[in-house]
Parts: sequence; C-alpha cells; structure tokens
Amino acid sequence: MTMAAPQISQDVLLNRASLELEKEQTCFECRDFGLYYGNNQALRGIDMVIPERRVTAFIGPSGCGKSTLLRCMNRMNDLIDTVRLEGEMLLHGKDINSKSINVTELRRQVGMVFQKPNPFPKTVYENVAYGLRLQGVNKKRVLDEHVEWALKGAALWDEVKDRLQDNALGLSGGQQQRLVIARAIAIEPQVILLDEPASALDPISTLKIEELIIQLKQDYTVVIVTHNMQQAARVSDYTAFLYLGELIEFGATDQLFTNPAQKQTEDYITGRYG
Amino acid sequence: MSQETGSTKSLIPEPLEFNTQLWKRRSIRDFLARNFVGAGGIAVIGSIILIFVFLFAVVFPLFKGAALYPVSSYSLPDAAVGDSLLYSTEEQAEVSMRLDSSGVVHFFYTDTGTLVQKFDLLAGLNAKISSWKHVDTERNILALGLDTGQILIFRHSYTLRYADDRRTIIPRISYPYGEEPIDLGIGRQAVDHFAIGDNEDGLTIFAYTREGPRLVDYAKVFSFLDEDEIVLELASQVSLPYVDRPMNALLSPERQWLYLLNDEGVISLYDIRSAETPVHIEDVQPLDAGSRPTAFEFLIGGISVLLADDQGDVHQLFLVRDEDGNQHLTEIRRFSGATAKISGLVAEQLRKGFLVTDDAGQVSVFHTTASRHLLTEKIADHALLHLSIAPRSDKIVAEDSTGQLHVWKLDNEHPEASFSSIWGKVWYESYPEPDYVWQSSSASSDFEPKFSLTPLTFGTFKAAFYAMLLAMPLAIFGAIFTAYFMAPKMRGIVKPTIEIMEALPTVILGFLAGLWLAPFVESHLPGIFVCLLVIPAGMFVASLAWWILPDRIKLLVPEGWQAALLIPVVILCTWMALAFSPWMENVFFGGNMRIWITDTLGIGYDQRNSIIIGIAMGFAVIPTIFSIAEDAVFSVPKHLTSGSLALGATPWQSLVHVVLPSASPGIFSATMIGLGRAVGETMIVLMATGNTPVMDFSIFEGMRTLSANVAVELPESEVNSTHFRILFLAALVLFVFTFFFNTIAEIVRQRLREKYSTL
Repeated sequence: MTMAAPQISQDVLLNRASLELEKEQTCFECRDFGLYYGNNQALRGIDMVIPERRVTAFIGPSGCGKSTLLRCMNRMNDLIDTVRLEGEMLLHGKDINSKSINVTELRRQVGMVFQKPNPFPKTVYENVAYGLRLQGVNKKRVLDEHVEWALKGAALWDEVKDRLQDNALGLSGGQQQRLVIARAIAIEPQVILLDEPASALDPISTLKIEELIIQLKQDYTVVIVTHNMQQAARVSDYTAFLYLGELIEFGATDQLFTNPAQKQTEDYITGRYG
Repeated sequence: MSQETGSTKSLIPEPLEFNTQLWKRRSIRDFLARNFVGAGGIAVIGSIILIFVFLFAVVFPLFKGAALYPVSSYSLPDAAVGDSLLYSTEEQAEVSMRLDSSGVVHFFYTDTGTLVQKFDLLAGLNAKISSWKHVDTERNILALGLDTGQILIFRHSYTLRYADDRRTIIPRISYPYGEEPIDLGIGRQAVDHFAIGDNEDGLTIFAYTREGPRLVDYAKVFSFLDEDEIVLELASQVSLPYVDRPMNALLSPERQWLYLLNDEGVISLYDIRSAETPVHIEDVQPLDAGSRPTAFEFLIGGISVLLADDQGDVHQLFLVRDEDGNQHLTEIRRFSGATAKISGLVAEQLRKGFLVTDDAGQVSVFHTTASRHLLTEKIADHALLHLSIAPRSDKIVAEDSTGQLHVWKLDNEHPEASFSSIWGKVWYESYPEPDYVWQSSSASSDFEPKFSLTPLTFGTFKAAFYAMLLAMPLAIFGAIFTAYFMAPKMRGIVKPTIEIMEALPTVILGFLAGLWLAPFVESHLPGIFVCLLVIPAGMFVASLAWWILPDRIKLLVPEGWQAALLIPVVILCTWMALAFSPWMENVFFGGNMRIWITDTLGIGYDQRNSIIIGIAMGFAVIPTIFSIAEDAVFSVPKHLTSGSLALGATPWQSLVHVVLPSASPGIFSATMIGLGRAVGETMIVLMATGNTPVMDFSIFEGMRTLSANVAVELPESEVNSTHFRILFLAALVLFVFTFFFNTIAEIVRQRLREKYSTL
C-alpha cells in the first residue's frame, strides 16, 4: 500500500462547499434529547439533524458526551441499567425509543463499530457471516456473496481472500477494524456509527479507514466520533461540536472549521482547550 | 499552562540524590522475595512428587515376583533306614520333620540337618505303612494307612523351652484320636489309598483296599471331663457304588465331597453329604490327551483341587453351581510354567498359592486367585521327590532323588496381586462365574481375599456421575445467568454466597446426608421425584406469567432482579411436592414407594443410595464449578458482546454464539475440576453411601468409592501386608485420577488465557 496522503477527490471537496443542511434528506433527528446516568445528566437539550448519505462527525473534548450520543443512536445504552432518556431520537421520523421499535431490528439498520477492533474469535468468514446468520441466512451461496461483497466494501477483500478460514484474531489491528466494518455492512444497514474507529490504529491503517469512510458515504449514512479534529476535517461533511453534554454548534464541516459561529468552538478547534 | 511572571524563586527543584542504602535494601528485599516465592513453588511441586514417589514405593512390591535364596544343602540326616515319605516344617521353619517308610519320624534342624528327636510311630504295632497323607496342614495332622486295615492319625507339635536362657524347640507327637489306630473293620488288608475329612462333628474316611472302596463315617463324642479327649463312634460304613481304580483321593474338610482320581487323570466326584448313601455325581477329565496325573492336592480351604500332570501343567478345579443349583466340578484355571514332569505339589498354608517340584530339579511358585506364575528356579540337579513349605511360606525344604536335602529361603510377599486380580474379572472359589469383587478380609484364615479395584473405581465414578448430574446443570447454568444476565448488585450477593458454600466442611454435609437426608428421601420418595418435574415446570409457568404481566408491574422489579422472584416459586413447588408425597404414595404406590420399587419393579433399594450422594456431593461440587465457570463467562470481553449486540443479535444470541464459545474452555475446565473434586471426595461418600462395593449403576443402590475404601480399611490393615499395599494402590489410582482431571482443566485454562490475551 502506498504511503500517499489521503486522496480526497476534488469532487468531494467541491461538493462540500455547496453543502446546505436544508437541502439534505434527514436520517436521524434529535429533539430536545437528553440523557441521565443515574442522577448525572450526560446530555441535555440536543436538537440536531443528521443528513442521509453524508459523513457526520461528533467532536468535542473527552467526556463531552459525544460517544454517549452516538450509542443512543442504536440504543447500545440500553445495556446500562441506570440510563434514563428524555426527548426524542427519530430515525426517518420514528422515535427509536418507542415501544413499537424492535431493538435488534434497529441495530441491524444502524450498525456500529467500536474504538477497539472486536472481531469474534472465529474465522474471518464467520465474522462477516455472523450478522447474516443471525438474520437466518444459511445458504452457502448467499453467505459467500455477501461476505465477498462486504469485504470488498470494507476494502479488505484483496488482503484476506486467501485466508477466509483463518482466525480473525490473526489479522493486524487495521485489518481487524476493517473486518469489523465489513461485518457491520454485511447486513446492509442504513447507518454506520463509528466510535473513534482509528484511535487504536497506526497512521497507515488510519489512512485506510479514512479512505473507506469516504467511500462508505455513497451508500450509507456515516456518523463518526473522533478526538482527532484533522480526521473530522478530512472525512466529514458535517460536524457537531459537543461540550459538557450540550450541542454547541452543528454545521457543514468546512464552515465549522473555518468560520465557527461560537467562541467555544473556535477555542476548541484552535487548541485552547481539550 | 501560562507562565506566571514576577516569581524570583527557581521552579526547578533540588536534584534528587541517589540513595544507595535504599537501593540496597530494595534489592535485598527483591532477592529475598524472589527466592522465597521460588522455593515455595519448588517445595509444592517437590512435595507432590514425593507423595507420588511414596505411594509408588509402597505399591511397587506388590508386583515384584518371588525369589528363592539358597540357605543350605546336605545329605539326608540320620542315615536313612527307609525311604522318605513326606516332610513337614513347623511355624518358625527352625525344625522340620521327615517321615520314613519304616514309620519313624525324624525331627531335625531345618538349616543344618542335625537330628533333634526321633519317634517310632509303629513301635508296638505289628504293621507296615501302606499309604500316607497330610490331613490338616494347619494343625499339623497327618495320617498313615496301615497294611492291617487300620488308619493311624497323629499330630506333630512343638513347644518352646527357655532352659538355661537358651531357646530350644521341643517336638512332640500326639494322637488326637488315640494311640491305637482306627480300625476300619475291613479285616487285615492293606489300605492302598485313603482320604480323611475331619471337622468338629465327625470324621469321614475313604479307604481303598484290594476289596474295593469304602466310606467310613464316625461321629465325634467329646468327653465331659476333658474336652480334648475325643471318642469316635462308628456311624456308617458303606461301599462306594462305582469306583474306577483310584490313584489318589481327596475328601473335603467339611465332609461333603469326595474326589477320586484315577491314573488317567479322570476325577470322579461323589456327594457324601449323606455318608450312608454316597452319590456319584460326575466324572471330569481336565487333562490333555496323553497327559498323566502326577499330583492331586487341595488348595488351602479345601474348596479347590489342584491336579498336576506330567506335561508341567497344573489344573485348578472347583465346584460351580449351575442355574439349576447342581454342582459341577469345573476347570477354572490352568497354570503352565514348570517345564518338566511335575513330581510334587504343595499348597501354601495361609494363602491360595502352591508350589510344584519337577523332574528337572526346579521349584515353581504359583498363586491361584491372581493367576500368577511367580517363579521357577532350579534348586537341584536331580529330580525333586519331596517338598515341604513352612507355614509362613518363607522357607522350603526339598529332597532330590539322590537323597540330598535343599533348604531355600522363599521371598514371596505379595503373590495375590496381579493386573488381572486387581482389574479383571476373577473366578473366585464358590462363585458361579468370574466377577469383580472387593472383599478384603474375613474371619477365617483360609478365606480367599478378593482385591478387585474395579468395583471401587466403578463406585467412584458412579458417585461422581450422580453428583455431576445434579451439580453440572445447576452450577453451569447458574454461572452463566449470574455472569451474563444478573444485575451487578445481585451478582455481588449471589457469587460470594455460593463460593462460601465451598468452605462448608464435607463431614457436615456427609452426616446431614446420611442421617437426615437419606431417611427423609426414603420417606418422601414420590415427592422427591415429583420435585424434579414440578420445579422446572413451575419456573417455566412463572416465567410465562411474568411475560404476560403488564409493563407497569414489570417495571417495579429492577432489571436483572427478576430471577429473585423465582425463589418463592421454587420453595412453593418443593413444599407442594413434599406435601402431596404421602397422598401420592397411597394412591399410586400402595402406601410405600420403597416397597413398591423393590417388589413391583424388582430393583434393590438402599437407604443410602445414589440420590443422596447426588444431592450431597452435588452440593459440595457446585461452588467449585460455579465459581470457575462464572469467572470464565464473566471474563469474556465486554466489547465482544457489544459487537454482537450492535449487529442486531439478541442477548441470548450473543450468549450462544459469542460468549459461550469463548467461555467454553473455562466451563470445561470448571467441570473437570469439579469432577476431580467429586472423584476425590471422601467424607460425604463415606458417611452417605453405605459403602457396599457393588457394581450396579442403579440410582437406588449405594456404592463404595476408592477414597472411602481407603478411609475405612487402611486403619485396620496390617502394615505392609498385601491388603495394605493394595489400599495404597487405590490411593495411587485416586491420585492419578484427580491429577488427570486437574491437569486437563489446567491445560485448557492455560490455552484459554493465551486465547484471551489476543482479544
């Protein structure tokens, strides 16, 4: 693989300049959304729209609630007993926290990739096929097709096509992370949530993941949480800046980074704190 | 942070001084700690190896063969008048006895041949010896058949004197049935062959003369004044209905069976339980075609007969009862080993072993139960004619055809042990078929010890099986639930509580099981079985009811605490099952299920049975399995579960497809350690099994385990006896079992650790 700088096409850059939130189709919408861990309020009054087929980045200092917000989008916070929600989180206009929503179906539509690569201790093939098998897909041909397609989609196919039956734990960290992304896209979700997907990786692997994220937005809505403001600037179309559980500013990435509306945003992106 | 101005004081602290002393102290501590821990570890490994070596050292002599060491060799003491007829040796093997054909008994020092004393048995009798025989080797009783139609029974005994501080052995000859020979009432004709059966009630003599075979039966009348004075009263005297010309005869000590051997090796069996009407039962020919019999003796106890032939084989036969209750003389074992024609056969006096001499001057040592050929040693260059073995089987005296006597020390401590007698099916005397039996001791000295570890090993695994049957599902499912579904707070209560159960002394569990649970289960049998059905069903129904309940009630119970609601359900189900138990017993089992089981089902029922063991030992094993399995499930990294859930898996799917495969080696290892514990457990099985070494898998029968067996019998066994060493072998086997299970568990655990280190 080359060591070249990220090849972000001119198209994308040009597109960015003309992005306007009003013209986008809405994927997620938060309405006065808040979250408590026990008595601690971790998120408050968040109103935001996440546009379809765009990369949206959440940035902010540690503990600002960006990961918490991300995890709310496929209800991973359900696993924590003490969590209490308020407000609404809408996916295509439906409140995902309403009783009529099947949480496993929601998670199938809203895939998630974690900070640390977490392939299952199974073969590469079985890792990718896992989600499909959960859906009841058992035909070898269908599985084969999907696995190949997902691995290609995650730009991993060429590297692992000869070792599909090897244990996934034998892959490098970057490969594992792309495998996890392949696993997520194998079940054809609409949204992919990435929780600091490159923070545990070396620069070359990070680069590949970033390239992959830019590709992914052609088919998926991508939401990424990152510490790394350069990364946010490189890959995202829209950026939300959170601070102390509140949404400070949300807008097109170029605009937010070059001409932030809020003082706090400016302070953060220029490195005054964080 | 921004730099403040205006402070003149330097912010750089004094440079740290290197504290040499501190460094020294630290490195000494480091050194001590490292070596102390290392020494501790090595000591642990060392002591395990030492235990193993010790057990092995005690067990090892069991499988050593016998050995003969020469003591002395000399020509016949006291220039022989007549030919030797037979030899006998006293308990300490210091003095031996030789009977010659002129009726003179020579007592001589075994090792030197120096004459001690001489008795002429026929002095004053106008008779010659026509036949001779040992009657009771244990009591040193011998008998002579005379050419006057009489039998002379005599006994040699020894008394110790300490005259002038010197230990001297004084031999004596006595006549238990009077000095006067017993007249068989057949006139003056030579008794060619005879056999005598002698017990408390009477004396039965078989005699064969030229006029034919006769069976003479006497009743014993004890004198009121002197118990030793016995008068024989003739009870009956009959001719035997059918007799092939015998060359030897044996009469069982209990006067029930007569075995006649002819010169072709055919043994004719007579039932003489009624001495007036002896019944010929059958003829048996154990020899191969062309072989001729050479010796015919009882094994100690008078149940087995040993027939030696001129091909060097010895056949062991005894009576076996068939399905119709008829006794048949059956060949049980054949011993080959002596290469030449067997010239004589002597049975040991305290064990089921025997020795044979052959024409090549060799002595061979065998043991029947163990089916062992222990030794063949050439002790003379000429054929051996006579052999005597000391009662303690530690010395032999043999006479060869040149009149040379050979005295050898015999080292044969543990002939009873062999692989086949310990692990295989053995055909014990009076048993209808080969079987696995553990019966190590009995009141009588001619008892055949039965040292099969198979029923004990079977019992060990049976106990472990029933314990695991209860413990495995409860502990493993409990562990999975606790680690994966339970609220952390509840887990914080449940886990330590179950782990504390492990500290409960097993002796308490044992006596609760034996003294309270066993009678309780016996009297509530239907209830116990119904519990097995009702509790799972009740839990299922309760879960279903919970599922249907409206949400607002469900929300009252915090997430992960729902399981606590099952506790009253289980208690209620148990109570109901037990409360209805007497009613069910009356309606379905005629008032008593235990009797119903034994009578209607025909299954034996022990009060202390496998159910009790399953419950009590299961209870002891649960904490071990639970604790390790819970750790295994809990330590599956959370990000794997999250990853699975994020792919749309339900918690159950994540558990089955991701958590359990990762935790399964840990669960397996927990099971192995639990099994190792169940196999090695002593107190519970000792107190709650009944300790019957049966090989029956029935849940209503008890068992005896290796560990309980060692605990019960070791304090009573004679140190360094075969029994003692076999108990050590049982301990060694137990050690190997637990070592095996724990090693497997540890290997699996190590691999698991390696696997997790990459996650």
